[in-house]
Amino acid sequence: MLDLFPSREASPFGRKVKRERGARIPVTVVTGFLGAGKTTLIRRFLGSPEGAGTAVIVNEFGAVGIDDALLREAAEETVLLGNGCICCITRTDLQIALRRLVFDRERGTVPRFGRIVIETSGLADPAPILQTFSTDRALGGEFHIDVVLAVVDAVNGEAELDSAAEARKQVILADRLVIAKTDLATPAAVARLTERLQHLNPRAAIDIAVAGALDPNRIIEPSTGERSGFLAEAEHGDGVLSFVIAQEPPLEWPAFSRAMETLLALRGADLLRVKGLLNVAGCRGPVVVQYVQHLAHPPVELQTWPDADRTSRVVFITRNIAERDVRNLFAAVQALAKA
Amino acid sequence: MPVTDKSPLNKGYQPVTWNFKLLAHDTLSGFGGMGEGMSVQIAPDGRRIIWLAHESAPKNFTAVDVSDPRKPKVVCQTDLPHANVRSNSLETCGNMMAVAYQTSQKDLQPAGFELFDISSPENPKSIGFFDCSGPHSRGVHQLWFCDGEYVHCASGSRDFVPTNALDDQFYRCVDVRNPSKPVEVGRWWMPGTRQGDNVMPPSRHPIDKGFRAHNTNVYPQRPDRCYLAYIDGGMFVLDISDKANPKKISHWTNSPPYTGFMHTVVPLFDRGLMLVTDESTENNAKDWPKLIWVLDARDETNLVSIATCPLPDPAVYAEAGRFGAHNIHENVPLPTAWHSDQIVLGTFFNGGLRAYDIANPYQPKEIGIFMPPAPPGAPTGTIQMNDVFVDERGIVYTVDRHVGGLYILEMDF
Repeated sequence: MLDLFPSREASPFGRKVKRERGARIPVTVVTGFLGAGKTTLIRRFLGSPEGAGTAVIVNEFGAVGIDDALLREAAEETVLLGNGCICCITRTDLQIALRRLVFDRERGTVPRFGRIVIETSGLADPAPILQTFSTDRALGGEFHIDVVLAVVDAVNGEAELDSAAEARKQVILADRLVIAKTDLATPAAVARLTERLQHLNPRAAIDIAVAGALDPNRIIEPSTGERSGFLAEAEHGDGVLSFVIAQEPPLEWPAFSRAMETLLALRGADLLRVKGLLNVAGCRGPVVVQYVQHLAHPPVELQTWPDADRTSRVVFITRNIAERDVRNLFAAVQALAKA
Repeated sequence: MPVTDKSPLNKGYQPVTWNFKLLAHDTLSGFGGMGEGMSVQIAPDGRRIIWLAHESAPKNFTAVDVSDPRKPKVVCQTDLPHANVRSNSLETCGNMMAVAYQTSQKDLQPAGFELFDISSPENPKSIGFFDCSGPHSRGVHQLWFCDGEYVHCASGSRDFVPTNALDDQFYRCVDVRNPSKPVEVGRWWMPGTRQGDNVMPPSRHPIDKGFRAHNTNVYPQRPDRCYLAYIDGGMFVLDISDKANPKKISHWTNSPPYTGFMHTVVPLFDRGLMLVTDESTENNAKDWPKLIWVLDARDETNLVSIATCPLPDPAVYAEAGRFGAHNIHENVPLPTAWHSDQIVLGTFFNGGLRAYDIANPYQPKEIGIFMPPAPPGAPTGTIQMNDVFVDERGIVYTVDRHVGGLYILEMDF
């Protein structure tokens, strides 16, 4: 489009946006194991001023929609997905539900919501949900996941993390972690759980919710800022690794994108989540990139950097892909591109 | 369009704020019926003043100190001499302001435009007047004044006898370098609209609003061009390199089958695009659809419509008052105005203020809506958003046509 109708104001990545979501509808995904306290947390949020204008999508794993019934009065609009887990058989239902919400909103047959909260079933793997939002052809043109929240039960959380791979993955892929039901657990148990969560996901801030009470902004604020304190490579178990690749000099976009294309082509299935803020040569603002498995979100350039740091930083959460290999790949592609 | 049980038609007007943040609202001392003149001045003492034209009498114009956009303060509000004149349009350039005067009937005074020294915003001083009155003239509806030298306006004239009474205003260029003695330097009208023309008068549209000039935009990127909207006549690109002899370069219209009233033409020079707006003038969306059109203007002699900015289901908005396009932010070539060729902001009466992303001009995408609750005393029971201006800081000013006054917003996209 820029070739046909060029603009000095536009970025190579389109209109420069104020924040990553641009004008898209913000989405919060609330994951967490069965009975962790997700519904209570969401219900409290919906009752706050920040929760006004929120549509809720509830994915129940069971024949009777209990959580749906609990949330229906508080939300602008509540959609219950069918019996099944959001990550597998009802993923299409999620797409249909979201499209219908937008359509009905335009027709004026549902109130004009400005935000969506998706409560996943306790057994859901968040990765396929993230994928659903990754491309324009899916839902990425209308919606943007601002934050993925994992709720962990202070009483049963540790045992669940030991026994269930789904629970571990929810924690690993989250942007922010919430420990619920701390009033029912001993301080020592809460401290142990906190340590375990930090080990599993060193990037994510940990909040404590007492009886579902949490600053409503923690449900909706994008977590970009929290990622500045990236830690070194972490081993999460299940072969899952997380690490950060950072670079100070501006990146050449063709070299970065070629390296990522190679990684996606060879090991897409093992790229659980990749998110980065890039200092791209020729761009004034940072360029946000995001990949989920073999899908790439369209990159966007922000109008301004969040702080003085101009270092490119990309967080990788992978399965059995070593940090060293990714570093070597990037170094090799950059060297070849320069030559 | 079906109206369902759940339609807002059955629930009354539903306010919406989406991707805008309201910073302040000022009903302008109870005179909040605003026209389509909005211009920002940085006063000699450093204050940022927005000058606003009123839609109709009794007020002439209002100046608001918006140095702190969260705390607007009216610093000046002036009166018109009588109820049969309105000053719907104004522009500022430095410390000079031009204000349009249009009368409700022919041959009344004052009909023309007045020039003010606004160095002291509390005390605007009249420094000149250009008389456009006449037996067939209602004066000036709209003007454009950005270079401190020429006023381009939609005006009648004592010597202009239209073939149809509705066609009284045409394009005039007036030299105001000596503000106390403005002098007309050129004019152009649509052939057939003046008695004595050697072509037939144009065929009238079913909703007959007149074949006359509306916006008369001229930009420094192309000082030799006037982008002229001509209401029921569509729009024209004029060559004004010789101001005394404007020449038509091209013409584009959507009517028929649309219902006329073309209002504004804004070229996006870098991109070879052009934005053209209609104005909705009928209540209850009777003239639907009134749209913002995107034109491929890479060849100015062959303008091609490639898209329109999408509007919602009219059934939802047809309840009361007007619904449809009107004014857009015009990238006024002043240092106090925001300039964008990626985002279009427009007012749509009861559809409020809407923003569109035109990064892909083939698929404009709605990215923001501001439809505030109906202001108290609103005759239609809804907002009737009339005009919008964005300053160079990106602060958005938008006004209600009837009572709501000034709304100050931040873009949040």
